[in-house]
Amino acid sequence: MADAPGPNQLFEQWRKQFEEGAQAWSRLITQTAAAAPSPTPDPTAFWRPVLDQGVQAWAKLFAQTPATPELLTQWKQFLDQWIEAWSKVLGQAMGTEQFAKLMGQSLDQMLVTTAPAKKVVDQQIEQTLQALNLPSRSQLTAIAKQIVELEDRIDRLEDSISAKLRRLTEREPR
Amino acid sequence: MRRAATIKQWQEELERGVRRLQNLHGLMTNPVEPKTGQTPRVEIYKRNKSRLYRYESTRTHRTPVLFVPNLGISRPYIFDLLPGGSFIEHMTNQGFDFYLLDWGVFGPEDNDLSRRGVRDQDPAADGPARCSRRPGPTSFRCWATAWARPSRRAFVASHPEVQVKNFVNMAGPIDFAKVGLFGLWLGKDKFNVDRFVDTLGSVPADMVKAGFKLLKPTMDLSTNLNLWWNMWNDKYLEGFQALNKWANEYVAFPGEFFRQWVRDFYQDNKLYRDELVMGGRPIRLERITCPVFVVGAKEDYIAPPECVRALIDKVGSREKEYIELPGGHISLIAGRGRGRPLLAEGLGLAGPALVGRTLSLTRGVTAA
Repeated sequence: MADAPGPNQLFEQWRKQFEEGAQAWSRLITQTAAAAPSPTPDPTAFWRPVLDQGVQAWAKLFAQTPATPELLTQWKQFLDQWIEAWSKVLGQAMGTEQFAKLMGQSLDQMLVTTAPAKKVVDQQIEQTLQALNLPSRSQLTAIAKQIVELEDRIDRLEDSISAKLRRLTEREPR
Repeated sequence: MRRAATIKQWQEELERGVRRLQNLHGLMTNPVEPKTGQTPRVEIYKRNKSRLYRYESTRTHRTPVLFVPNLGISRPYIFDLLPGGSFIEHMTNQGFDFYLLDWGVFGPEDNDLSRRGVRDQDPAADGPARCSRRPGPTSFRCWATAWARPSRRAFVASHPEVQVKNFVNMAGPIDFAKVGLFGLWLGKDKFNVDRFVDTLGSVPADMVKAGFKLLKPTMDLSTNLNLWWNMWNDKYLEGFQALNKWANEYVAFPGEFFRQWVRDFYQDNKLYRDELVMGGRPIRLERITCPVFVVGAKEDYIAPPECVRALIDKVGSREKEYIELPGGHISLIAGRGRGRPLLAEGLGLAGPALVGRTLSLTRGVTAA
């Protein structure tokens, strides 16, 4: 695989093909302007040089490189590099003071807008649940908090009892 | 001859393509829930949502490992993902008795939990003392990872009575002035933490997810590209499903804890500046005198290596070593690379042996 073109070579081939195609196109336009109008116009003539150049370039590439699945690997590497390049660009943009400030302002704005709406919705839900004789989220949360506190107190009691028991065991004559 | 080889290669690629489509069909129509966290364990202590688990080993090392992962953000089964690719399984196979603290999933009833409250509910905070009341060890090797690390270091620094034989800090930020994008976005002049917590009460899991996705917006794209590329490989697919399950299971932050966390660490950098007070005790990192082993990851964008390395300059230990492994924040432990064996080897060493041996570990990594 040492002689297979890498992603850079592929890219280089693509660039070359693009440049040659553009030159052929520009040549055709100059010639068309200079020459007398043809009695039977060919609609494909305008694109033919560009397509021919492209086909020739890719044919050359495939002639140089056997069409093996390695080509797919190189394509995958090319995509990886492309994603990595975008990642770097985005990383740089997001690493600026302006972006951080803008993000902070947007978040702040969202919170300022959300807070009163959230309060109203919460109150409405609370009232509805109360009318339906159902427990609300805040009531359940309060019960859960109490359970946590009770567990904590039991833990502390358990610790204190085992400490006292240990002291008693240590004092007992053998 | 060459033509025949090319045809064979194309045939293989075609078979891969067919397997890709078959596996994609399986993923779409019959998704299998990956079985994570299969290493046998015993719950030895619990407090509120937190649990302390013990993973038993053949115990070739006398001092066990107390492993303290991140609070909030994600679940700790990443450390015991799949048999054969599990960090905990690897450590127990190496003869370490392993204690894992699982902080649990906090609910709205925990929104008032402050950093001190979290410390009080941390079964490993007074773990050695508590565990010694039950049959168990009296000293530990303490291993802190992710965002629990600053508090774990603070705990080790403020409780000299707790016997910590050596301390490993894995990809844990210390100098928050160098913590990267999160440090910039959560800065005092940009992020109003009070308004955030007062409005939302907690940091919802979806918001935690959005924050991490924003750190690397192209991550999902490259993950999906790699998934398609490797979809023919059943082993890869199994690992991917487990990792993907973990990567999309975010955990909310208790509001008060988040407020203190952002203020003290991201905005005021108090731990690094020796201004942090926890449970009424001032925290000075120079009071850590046990052997310290710090591990950073080269491509870590959550805790960049330079902010992790800072611990080395702050601790009072004579034996201290920094090692930088290839890969990112998660691949340090979850990857199938050389990280796990090297870290286990590093942890097995303590005292005077630490420095010399970890230097050889560093060489091993460089050579890899």
